[in-house]
Amino acid sequence: MRVNPNPLPDLLSSVSQTQQQINQDLKDIASGQTINSPADDPAGAAMLVRNADQSAEADQFLRSASSLSGELQNADSALNSVITVLQRAISLGTEGANGTLNDADRAALAGEVQGIQSQLVNLANLSYQGSYVFAGTATSTAPYVVDSTSASGVRYVGNSVTNSATIGNHLTVKSNMPGSQLFSGDGTDMFQAIQDLVNNLQSGNNIDTAVNEVSQAYNHISAQRVFYGNSINQLNSQQTFLNDETTQLAQQQNTIAGTDLSKVISDLMTAQTSRQATLEAIGQTQQTNLFNYIK
Amino acid sequence: MSSLSASLATALSGLAAEQGALEATSNNVANVNTPGYSREVPVFVTRDPVVIAPLTLGTGVDLQSIESIRDPILESQIQQESQTQGQLSALVSALSETQTTFSTSTGDIGTAISNLFDSVNQLSTSPADLSLRQNVLTAAGNVASAFNTAASNLTAQRTNLDASVQQSVSQINQLTSQIAQLNGQVSSLQNAGQDPGTLLDQRTQLIDQLSSLIDVSVIPTDNTITLTTASGTALVAGQQSFSLSTQLDASGVHHVFSQGSDITSSIVSGQLGGLIQARDQQIPAIQNQLDVLAAGLANSVNSVQAAGYDLNGTAGVNLFNTPPASGAGAAASLTLAITDPSLVAASSDGTSGSNGNAENLYALRNQSIIDGQTPSDYYSNVVFSVGNAASNASAEQSASNLVLQQLSDQRSSVSGVSLDEEAANLVRYQQAYAASAQIITSINSMLETVINMKSS
Repeated sequence: MRVNPNPLPDLLSSVSQTQQQINQDLKDIASGQTINSPADDPAGAAMLVRNADQSAEADQFLRSASSLSGELQNADSALNSVITVLQRAISLGTEGANGTLNDADRAALAGEVQGIQSQLVNLANLSYQGSYVFAGTATSTAPYVVDSTSASGVRYVGNSVTNSATIGNHLTVKSNMPGSQLFSGDGTDMFQAIQDLVNNLQSGNNIDTAVNEVSQAYNHISAQRVFYGNSINQLNSQQTFLNDETTQLAQQQNTIAGTDLSKVISDLMTAQTSRQATLEAIGQTQQTNLFNYIK
Repeated sequence: MSSLSASLATALSGLAAEQGALEATSNNVANVNTPGYSREVPVFVTRDPVVIAPLTLGTGVDLQSIESIRDPILESQIQQESQTQGQLSALVSALSETQTTFSTSTGDIGTAISNLFDSVNQLSTSPADLSLRQNVLTAAGNVASAFNTAASNLTAQRTNLDASVQQSVSQINQLTSQIAQLNGQVSSLQNAGQDPGTLLDQRTQLIDQLSSLIDVSVIPTDNTITLTTASGTALVAGQQSFSLSTQLDASGVHHVFSQGSDITSSIVSGQLGGLIQARDQQIPAIQNQLDVLAAGLANSVNSVQAAGYDLNGTAGVNLFNTPPASGAGAAASLTLAITDPSLVAASSDGTSGSNGNAENLYALRNQSIIDGQTPSDYYSNVVFSVGNAASNASAEQSASNLVLQQLSDQRSSVSGVSLDEEAANLVRYQQAYAASAQIITSINSMLETVINMKSS
């Protein structure tokens, strides 16, 4: 059988294949990625798209959780102040209920409770980054307006709507509690209690009843405040979970597309050796033919 | 009874034949690197003997012809494979350009969509915050421009492919007219009883080139050949070539016509087939997927917007301009309908602090709103199909390269010039020539002997 007298095209194509392998290896090493374009690994590239979306989502949930956490902590510390102030009101009321005080003493106490009243209005009108925290979702205006025609001395202009924010897949956290539920709901109305205390201190009648009302408001708010603690705890544990998830997604991303350096470098060495060997072979075999020997 | 002069003529025929054979060898050596050249071998035949009873005497040798060695079946296989290769390499280069649009980067569609939903999730934590609302608008604008960029890349690529289609057609026309011309020269040589060897090589070479451009069927007829496309459109018949033409159609690309009829969709092989496949099938399919995604996303976002209220308590308006009802061109035309961040409808009840509708907007991220898939899953499938098309075409191209390489090896083992062989032949012809010359010298001295006999 006659053999192909010109093996050069074969050899050259093999050289160009090894060269292509070398180029690919160099690209993988330089970029640190084995998937530099979708054609490198179509299924892997599609997984990378989903991985990137999930990572972005987890990062965003972390940011949202941290924003919410800030807001909730702010509200919680306002409530802490409310509770401290209410304690002070209770002790002022208890002091006023002592029968030994005269009108002037009680008037002084009433004056101090009035100061507390306006402190409480300020606290209930807490605004965080431009939004009123205890206004339900009517956050653009201060929820408590001082109004002398109202029996409690204030009027609630917020609403009773709560927000829920998504901080995980299928996980939402309630992000606010309206003032109508905290301070001036049915049954216990903190502002009514304080107004009653002021009135009764001034009149000297039924001070005990008023103190009792304030105590009830105090208890109610303390109980409701648990919501903030719970939400903040929920956010904290979700942040821990999200941090783990971010790490896992990064690992997954690296598994899908990261360059296995030791493997790629070893491939590169093999390709280089093979290329050199082929080139040397070409150089040596193509030098002689029968014409060289005919004298 | 033999004669010295007959022997002289026999020896002379040897001289002439070996000299002619030497021509073949020197032509072979000269063309050792000519692409498509088929080696020539001399065909020696014994001259008819004369019978001079009781002897039958040989009368020498004739160099009957110098024949080119070629295998027509191999050549037609090479042409077939060239068609596949031409098609695949056009496809590979088109698709590898396309897929760069879908490489993960900061500006790609997938990232832009993720960022949009991220910004909505952040807005949900503080729905009245104008800077967060602005972030949503910016992110939505980036989604629109990511779609616009991808769509315009694809359109530009289609335009380039269209230009290549026209170039390819004009190359085909040039080749077919050259082949028709060669057909004329070949048949006039054959009619004159001569071997058209090198012209056939040239013609084969041109048909190989033509095969890499379009699907060619070669039909040998008396002394000439007819070329048609695989679906039967005539390209060359004998000395006449039929040129293809292009004509702009309503969709803005050129269709290929032969003698008045549109043959675009019947061209499936060769570079032209690959170009048409990329231009009319692969890229439009990707454009269509992008349109589905863009229109689905825009419509879903708009309908959630419409169900909510903006910062002023007014019912929400479209965030994106309504995509075309058919969806066609949605990616290219996707734009924002609003520039005022207060118009983002985050509220579900009209109060500025409500985040209910922002939550509904965010929920779109994990809803199957695009053809039964979430936006991110749908986009990841687009990336998969683009990557897969490019990687399949390139794998097929490598396989086809190997086949073509093997066929070329086989062709070369049949038709290629071997310098060793030529050197050996040279020695053979040279020695035979020298031997014939030696015989002539001997006959000469024998004749001298005879002549001297007379004069003495």
